[in-house]
Amino acid sequence: MTDLPPPEEDWSAVAAEYVLRLLPQEEEAEFEAAMAADPALRDEVAGWMRHFEGLNTGFAETTPRPAVKGALFTRIFGEEAPRKVSFWDRVGLWRGISVAALVLAAVMTTLWLLPAEGPAPGPGYVSEIAAEDGSLRLFAVYDPVRGGLQITRISGAAPEGRVLELWAIAGDAAPVSLGVLPEDQHALLTLPESYHSAAGLLFAITDEPPGGAPGGAPTGEIRATGEVHDL
Amino acid sequence: MSTPSQLEDLIAKTSLGDRRAFSALYDATSAKLFGVALRILKDRAGAEDVLQETYMKIWRYAGRYAANGTSPMTWMITIARNTAIDRLRRWRATETVDETADPLPDRGPTPEQTAVARSEAARITSCLAELEDDRAQAVRWAYLDGFSYADISTRLDKPLNTIRTWLRRSLISLRECMSR
Repeated sequence: MTDLPPPEEDWSAVAAEYVLRLLPQEEEAEFEAAMAADPALRDEVAGWMRHFEGLNTGFAETTPRPAVKGALFTRIFGEEAPRKVSFWDRVGLWRGISVAALVLAAVMTTLWLLPAEGPAPGPGYVSEIAAEDGSLRLFAVYDPVRGGLQITRISGAAPEGRVLELWAIAGDAAPVSLGVLPEDQHALLTLPESYHSAAGLLFAITDEPPGGAPGGAPTGEIRATGEVHDL
Repeated sequence: MSTPSQLEDLIAKTSLGDRRAFSALYDATSAKLFGVALRILKDRAGAEDVLQETYMKIWRYAGRYAANGTSPMTWMITIARNTAIDRLRRWRATETVDETADPLPDRGPTPEQTAVARSEAARITSCLAELEDDRAQAVRWAYLDGFSYADISTRLDKPLNTIRTWLRRSLISLRECMSR
């Protein structure tokens, strides 16, 4: 330990130094570790953020070049992607699906009722993976408390002699297989940690030969796709 | 300028993956956040890059805003400020930065600020005024220009440990004044 002060009143000064970013790197890391374990310290930090709020008037508004926004949106969403239907445009559709509401309600209750163990898990997410024509529809839910990706199949099946395989696509990376979907209505798939965040994540389902795509990359037709939304 | 509740609404929709809300959030707040990055980095290209990185974080972590308990603008300014300071530290670790570059002069409040912001600004301004001039200036340098203790020590030509001791005491006085 370096010279973090023991008396409680001084922690407030350290919290201020933390908010101002005055702490040397090592002490900053120590303080963040202490903060993770101590809600009072987090309140102290939030209090200092509010105290300094008045200084924000010192940052003069300066409009950035319009090209910056274009570059940002390309970085986040990619330029090749056609404009996708937004979540809110689909709210009408979601309202019509009572099963979806039930699945969501069940998951959210689980998230709220189960006490977190160890560090609080991040938010879970939900994805409606559906075919354009509605021939295949299922829900994938990641619940960080229970772990794994819970699949609930609402409708649809693989073509004769084929299986359905689920793929995770993170940003611009190549699709990675999460496994072949069992015929059952419910399934729990192992979800690698790199897909625990909804940001930039997409799911897709292809039909593949029995046993799944042989080369680890999709070979069949894309049957359904789904955007991922934080819960 | 959007109201806090309008911004909160846009952040909530952004957390659900709503790109139009995110775009509107950018339009409403990017001038302020660019001002933050520009003031700290004093370099337009670097500030543009930091602005993009800031909004990538906002897109990604919008869902965490509600748990934070601060105003939406303060939350976003904190992200921009921290991203800019991280960038400043990386620059310093890899190249020689012009340490003699003058910090920008403080600007008075601009007309478009809300009454709330004015009263908050007035409060911290009056509390800073209770400190000795160079200490109040040191707090402003740290907050607005991303100065480290070493920067402040160089600028005021005093030993680093001395600076740290008196600035800590000043921060405690400041807190007492702010909670009056």
